[in-house]
Amino acid sequence: MADPAATTETLSPAELARRFEAEAAEVPDRRAYEELKSRWTGKKQGVVRSLLARIGEVPPEERKAFGQEVNRLKEAVEAGLGRLEGEIGARERAAEAARARVDVTLPGRRPHLGALHPVTRVADEITDIFRALGYSVAEGPEVESDYHNFTALNMPEGHPARDTQDTFFVRGGGVLRTHTSPVQIRTMLARKPPIRVICPGRVYRNDNDLRHSPMFHQVECLAVAEGLTLGDLKGTLEAFIHRLFSADTGVRLRPSFFPFTEPSAEVDITCPFCRGGGCATCSGTGWMEILGAGIVDPRVLRECGIDPEVYSGFAYGMGLDRVAMIRYGIPNIRQLFENDERLLRQVR
Amino acid sequence: MLFSLEWLARYTDLPEDTAELARRLTAAGLAVELVEETEHGTVLDVDVTTNRVDAMNHLGLAREVAVLFGGALREPWSEPPAEAGEETAAAVRVEIDEPALCTRYAARVIRGVAVGPSPDWLARRLRAIGQRPVNNVVDVTNYVLWETGQPLHGFDLAKIEGATIRVRRARPGERLVTLDGQERKLAPDMLVIADASRPVGLAGVMGGEESEVGPATTDVLLESAWFDPRSVRETAKALGMHTDASHRFERGADPELQARAGARAAALMAEVAGGTVLAGAVDVLAPTHEERHRRPAIALDLGRLDAFGGVAVPEGRATEWLRGLGFDVEEAGPRRLRVTVPPWRLGDVLEAADLYEEVLRIHGYDAVPATLPALAEPDAPPTPRQLLRGRVREVLAACGYAEAATWAFQSPEEAASLPALGDGAAAEEPVTVENPLSELYSTLRRSLLPGLVADARFNTRRGAESVRLFELGVAFGRRPGEEGAQGVVEREALGIVCGGAVGTPWDRRRELDLFDLKGVVEAVAEAAGVAIEARPADGLRGFLAGATAELRVGGRRVGVLGRLDPQSGEDDPYPLYLAEVELAALEADPEALRAAREVTAPPRLPGIEADLTLTHAVDVPWAEIEATVREAAAPELVRFRLKDRYTGRGVPEGAVNTTLTFLYHGGERQLTQEEVNEKQQALAARLESRFGWEEAAR
Repeated sequence: MADPAATTETLSPAELARRFEAEAAEVPDRRAYEELKSRWTGKKQGVVRSLLARIGEVPPEERKAFGQEVNRLKEAVEAGLGRLEGEIGARERAAEAARARVDVTLPGRRPHLGALHPVTRVADEITDIFRALGYSVAEGPEVESDYHNFTALNMPEGHPARDTQDTFFVRGGGVLRTHTSPVQIRTMLARKPPIRVICPGRVYRNDNDLRHSPMFHQVECLAVAEGLTLGDLKGTLEAFIHRLFSADTGVRLRPSFFPFTEPSAEVDITCPFCRGGGCATCSGTGWMEILGAGIVDPRVLRECGIDPEVYSGFAYGMGLDRVAMIRYGIPNIRQLFENDERLLRQVR
Repeated sequence: MLFSLEWLARYTDLPEDTAELARRLTAAGLAVELVEETEHGTVLDVDVTTNRVDAMNHLGLAREVAVLFGGALREPWSEPPAEAGEETAAAVRVEIDEPALCTRYAARVIRGVAVGPSPDWLARRLRAIGQRPVNNVVDVTNYVLWETGQPLHGFDLAKIEGATIRVRRARPGERLVTLDGQERKLAPDMLVIADASRPVGLAGVMGGEESEVGPATTDVLLESAWFDPRSVRETAKALGMHTDASHRFERGADPELQARAGARAAALMAEVAGGTVLAGAVDVLAPTHEERHRRPAIALDLGRLDAFGGVAVPEGRATEWLRGLGFDVEEAGPRRLRVTVPPWRLGDVLEAADLYEEVLRIHGYDAVPATLPALAEPDAPPTPRQLLRGRVREVLAACGYAEAATWAFQSPEEAASLPALGDGAAAEEPVTVENPLSELYSTLRRSLLPGLVADARFNTRRGAESVRLFELGVAFGRRPGEEGAQGVVEREALGIVCGGAVGTPWDRRRELDLFDLKGVVEAVAEAAGVAIEARPADGLRGFLAGATAELRVGGRRVGVLGRLDPQSGEDDPYPLYLAEVELAALEADPEALRAAREVTAPPRLPGIEADLTLTHAVDVPWAEIEATVREAAAPELVRFRLKDRYTGRGVPEGAVNTTLTFLYHGGERQLTQEEVNEKQQALAARLESRFGWEEAAR
């Protein structure tokens, strides 16, 4: 090809248009493109500009036609440059993508998250349910006095129900609380009704086998106000169980006996594993005993300085460990306290 | 507790459908746990609660069935045939020396029995409920216990010296060989049945072997008495005994049953073992009897009952059911009743609430509608401690730690292996359990750390490449000389253990060390709005000197951070690092917490960063460098921190390169690089002159 700078002086706009096409076809990259662009559309030396400068040399009667030809050339060059820039951009992006290619099926780098204990998770869940029902959380010591753990709960010294509690006695006096009921007593001694509290916490019983751990967890619920009824107990229980398990969980109250409530009931729910159909976990009954409940015995209220003629109360208690085992499918209570990280880290 | 269906049917008509019987009994509070077909007939296993000693026999359970199904109760009372000329009163003497512990003692005498096997019907009923027949005389006493609930005992009258029964306390040094062949040392507070010279039975618990009815026995003295629940319980407990008799006496036997049950047993004995029942009974009532067993009369307002249960119990039903259960019921006004408790429910039914339960359990709890209490103002909001616990757990889980829950029981050695938590804890004594599972679990933890070390080792033994565990729990101590529960101090603590390496090279593997753990402690403290600092502490039990610190908040010792002494027990596959902090120390007062939570709006303009590397002796503490920077800092220095520490090539032996990074900011004004350089040089000169490594000086 002849030197373009030498010949643009003499070529007609139409010829120049063909030459631009030919040059554009040879552009390999952005640098060559920028060169091409400045040579053809440059403000001072560009081919198009130089052509326009020649308009004075054209005879007046041809000037209009010449001007139109130059404009066509200008449009063709600009369109050509635009197209070319698009093509080069696409080539560049393709090259970049090829360089950035990774195997997206490689495993992600997981942040090292920890986990909360299954019993904590369940306690938090239960606390949230009760807080939404207007309850607060009350707490008390784990080494309790005999008075708070037994006597005030209508289990005076010599009461046979004490034997069923498998109490750990502390040297020098006191017991490891066998339930969180002493927290109810402390609450009622400290406050006037209306009272709505739950008492979660660790409790201890001298019982150690495959189904029992000498340390475990309970949550108890206590409401004391004017005019609370057995129906209120039942309604609160159902509301709680439906939120904790599912809205279609059946709830059954069976009369039972606890020294600190009268009447008392064992509460069964439809077995969460077989949904009431009967399975090995529920011994084929379709029911699972999950908590104990009752109307606070008037003797307990009186002991705490609350007049049972004015106020009534209901209470219930359940094992948190049991709920955690159901929730997470942990077969053995002992596994809750082995602290095997392989198990703990699975808890969501 | 087992019941024979065929035996039960002797006292009331049973429904055809045993499943329905089981369902109704369960719904009334007598949970039928199992219905079993055995070679001795159908047997129910019923969970009878401790308050229902009256239902721990066939007649008592039949009474419930009769009420539930509207049948009649057929009571088994019978008088023995009146054929003897001899009077019981002439054959035995009974004296009650302890009227507080025995309010009634009824005796019968049967002469000329032929001891031998029981008839089949009797043996079968006993076998059905898991009792082993012995001989006809013993079996009758056992049978009547399971029939009526009254424990009975038959003595061989020939062995009762002076034909005299004295109910008295044991005398010092007395011993008794009980029916099970054990020789029992008797304590002076134990109630015994004695003859003219020595104990022949442990009152309410078990008879003596020497006066036992055997093949050679011809004359039987039959005891039917009422013993004080507490006395029986304490005696049985002290001797480690538990019998069918003690089980009932402890829970309060029917005080009006002795004469009737004695007559019933004597009649039955004559029937199955032959012999003649002497005329009349010796029925000694202590002067305390009537007062002690007064039957309370309770006012029952049926309107209140309905309101309480949220149901309308049909008119007349409450009366009908209560009467069926043995209560005396009189009208006491419109919808008001006066209800007198039967003698077999004396300890159990004391006031109106107890009667509500009686009526409602027969009516069925299913019929009680579920309601929700009217909404009142919500109870108290979460306490600062409760919020803190949630925050601490959240931070630790976010830092990669798994929450553990560990028993509070430790061996004395384990409890002493690491320092007790708490500033004053060293002066306290360990809290110990009187009746532990074993010596290994006899002491309540004084720190969470020994338990966490054990947990860490549980994991390393199973091949864990790393351990990261924490626990929130209580550490215990007893203030010296202070008795009772109030002498026990409970300190809530956060305990953490870590060690090993986390992740693969792909995951950017990280070896955990003391500073990973310290960072977690700092993150927790920061989240709690508390400034925590670590001071070197050597000589802490169980910790490695030189790699251990006391944690302080506001100058007070609140915990510990350090490396477990590798000499302290097992060979761990990697170093274990421990931290423990009193939770109370992390509880900032609300004002401080609010201040700590306030954020600073980030400036609009960027700041200028500058690094500085200082070569200094390894024993210069970072805390001093840090303090010097703070002291010398220009107001424009908004942040500085440790960037790196380096020893090795190019760093003299005994020295370390510490690189700090600084951030300068002029607030609303853009600083120039020159300004920053100037400040940086001044700071560098100050640090250099104070800490810089001078080869010559070494």
